[in-house]
Amino acid sequence: MIELLQNLIDGLGRGSIYALLALGVAVIFGVMHLLNFAHGELITVSGYAGYAAFQAGWSWYLVAPLVVVVSIVTSLVIERLAFSRVRGASDFTLLLTSFGIHFLVSAIFLMYVSASVKSFPRPGWVANTYSIGPLTVEVFDTVVIGVTIVTLAVTVAILQKTMFGLALRAAAADFDAARLMGVRSDSVIRGAFALSGFLAGIAAIFWLMRAGNTTPTAGSDPMLKGVLAALIGGLGSLRGAVLGGLALGLAEVLLRSQLPASVAELTEGVVFVLIALLFIFRPQGLITVAHAERV
Amino acid sequence: MKKWLALVFAFALLTAACGGSSSDAADDSAGADDSAGTDDSAGAAGLDIDAILAADLENCAEAPSGDPIKVGMAMDFSDVVGFVDIPGSKLVPYVAELINCSGGINGAPVEVQVQDVGNDAGLAALELLDWGANFLIGPPFADFALPILQTTEGQVPLFVAASTEPTLADAANNSYLVTFDDNQMSAAAANWALDNGFTRAIVFTEGEGVPYTGVNPDVFAATFTDGGGEVVSTQTYVWGADTDFSSQVNEIAGISENNEIVFSAALAFQVTALRGQLEGQGLDGLTYIGVDALSATGIVSQDNNEGILHTPHIAIEPGDRNDVLLAGFEAAKGETLDSRGFMGLYVDSMFLGIQAMLDCGCSEPADIGEAVRAISGFEGLSGTITYAGTNGIPPKSVPIVRVENNTDVLVATE
Repeated sequence: MIELLQNLIDGLGRGSIYALLALGVAVIFGVMHLLNFAHGELITVSGYAGYAAFQAGWSWYLVAPLVVVVSIVTSLVIERLAFSRVRGASDFTLLLTSFGIHFLVSAIFLMYVSASVKSFPRPGWVANTYSIGPLTVEVFDTVVIGVTIVTLAVTVAILQKTMFGLALRAAAADFDAARLMGVRSDSVIRGAFALSGFLAGIAAIFWLMRAGNTTPTAGSDPMLKGVLAALIGGLGSLRGAVLGGLALGLAEVLLRSQLPASVAELTEGVVFVLIALLFIFRPQGLITVAHAERV
Repeated sequence: MKKWLALVFAFALLTAACGGSSSDAADDSAGADDSAGTDDSAGAAGLDIDAILAADLENCAEAPSGDPIKVGMAMDFSDVVGFVDIPGSKLVPYVAELINCSGGINGAPVEVQVQDVGNDAGLAALELLDWGANFLIGPPFADFALPILQTTEGQVPLFVAASTEPTLADAANNSYLVTFDDNQMSAAAANWALDNGFTRAIVFTEGEGVPYTGVNPDVFAATFTDGGGEVVSTQTYVWGADTDFSSQVNEIAGISENNEIVFSAALAFQVTALRGQLEGQGLDGLTYIGVDALSATGIVSQDNNEGILHTPHIAIEPGDRNDVLLAGFEAAKGETLDSRGFMGLYVDSMFLGIQAMLDCGCSEPADIGEAVRAISGFEGLSGTITYAGTNGIPPKSVPIVRVENNTDVLVATE
């Protein structure tokens, strides 16, 4: 029982990072119908920026905000250089474009930086723990869960209380109608990419703190987790993205601990089977989102 | 008198000229003798590696002009093994420059062509064969090395430079490892643990029989158990990806006596992440031992690395051949190569091929393969290499090093 509770907390910690990643994916999908497979590259670029900063003697106190800023800027640059060129194209074209960016960014770092792992120090408190009765809780998990809650609150406030949020939600519901009502598409889309970059930046901080390194393909795993979580939650749903992230994190940790040792290495496969089953019975994901179809 | 002086002067000049001529003749003769000697018994003479490494690129000998020795490198530049194949494919052409600068191999220049295997290793190999490669240096993992072997059909020697994959060694099919294999490496780690009094082990694996990530733990566990030890916990993980070991740590916390040795084939950042989480649970008495993946992924530059043990291919000491070579490359090219402990394997791959050509006095790949199989006691950058009587895996001792103050310190040789 204690181990189960322990794993639940660990799963929530891991799931919180997935939730942040999935939120970024969901924001972009809501506005552009783009399943952004380049989302993980925000972590790749941020990781190398962080590595360079550490080489220059920076500490995590400075690197953390740098990671967020670099993630936002990278997101905007990708939108400007790539997605703005294919705006209005078919979903398939957008999808292929995002794949292209994903591979291009990896290849650039591979060819012009290094194929080797670039390590940097983890903060000293990452592995620290504290006790609640018989439970041993990682400080890291507590911080991740706390920061995720705050970030979600800020995101909700932006979406609910600001004109940009209103425009974004309107565009997500029906992009063409929103434009007819005077919503400026450029501003909304760039704002969405900036918000997505911000969320990825927060996730990147924790991802990189845990990993302690970056590589040309550092963004692949977080991209996959973010996209999966967004799919589980229901594409385009912000609430669904959070739920999907938490569900994915919990499933990974619980399955690895509960599966018999002889099949524990199948954890990742079992997670995918569960996701497949979910899509058989609820193709729309956990949360149903109504979208106006562009014609 | 003047006539006499003139005669004496003329005689002196003639003598000097004859003497010079005699000396030149002697030099030429020596050169010819050397050449003949090399042709006849080059194996005994061998390559003068130290002379090659000492070559000064700013002050080269006359450029060699014979038929070139062609070295084909089919390398994997992807993120999978690019961290060894990319620097390796930079260092080997540099060493070829050094060879050519020092006059070549018996007057023959060495040429190196590098091909990225991309998605088609067989095609890369074919292009190298079309170019006329005398032998090939290949990537470490079977995904790409096997298609190359299918292309060469065993007719061209292939050195899988950075590989420890035992199934890639097949002397009859002209495929050779340059270093010890997974079996030697992990058995050495287990034996070191037993020799140092460990009786309990925790093993991390990707699954039984999985190449490298599962085979190494399999071998470690079998050797450790056969030696009287007990594997108290076997945990699974995703190699190269997992950095959150929460569920494994929770389970280990329930059974550990805080005195076990923890073995895995994991990468450096994974081992340090695992260690951090285990220490966070109060398990600070564990000892961590890994394999060559730790040197490949920079364990010495990680935080929380003190005391971690591993099995590099080459324990580089300041001022030794490897150190001199890598420093020379850095000075000449202005670039510091990654994966330093693997680089000697790539250079040795080229040296072994050349040595075989010298031994047989031949240039046909099939004949070179015969000579490779007969190589015995070759003193390379990565140690002594013998293929004679083996299936293509050179029996080499395995260094066990411990990270102390961000430096590898040799603690044993198994």
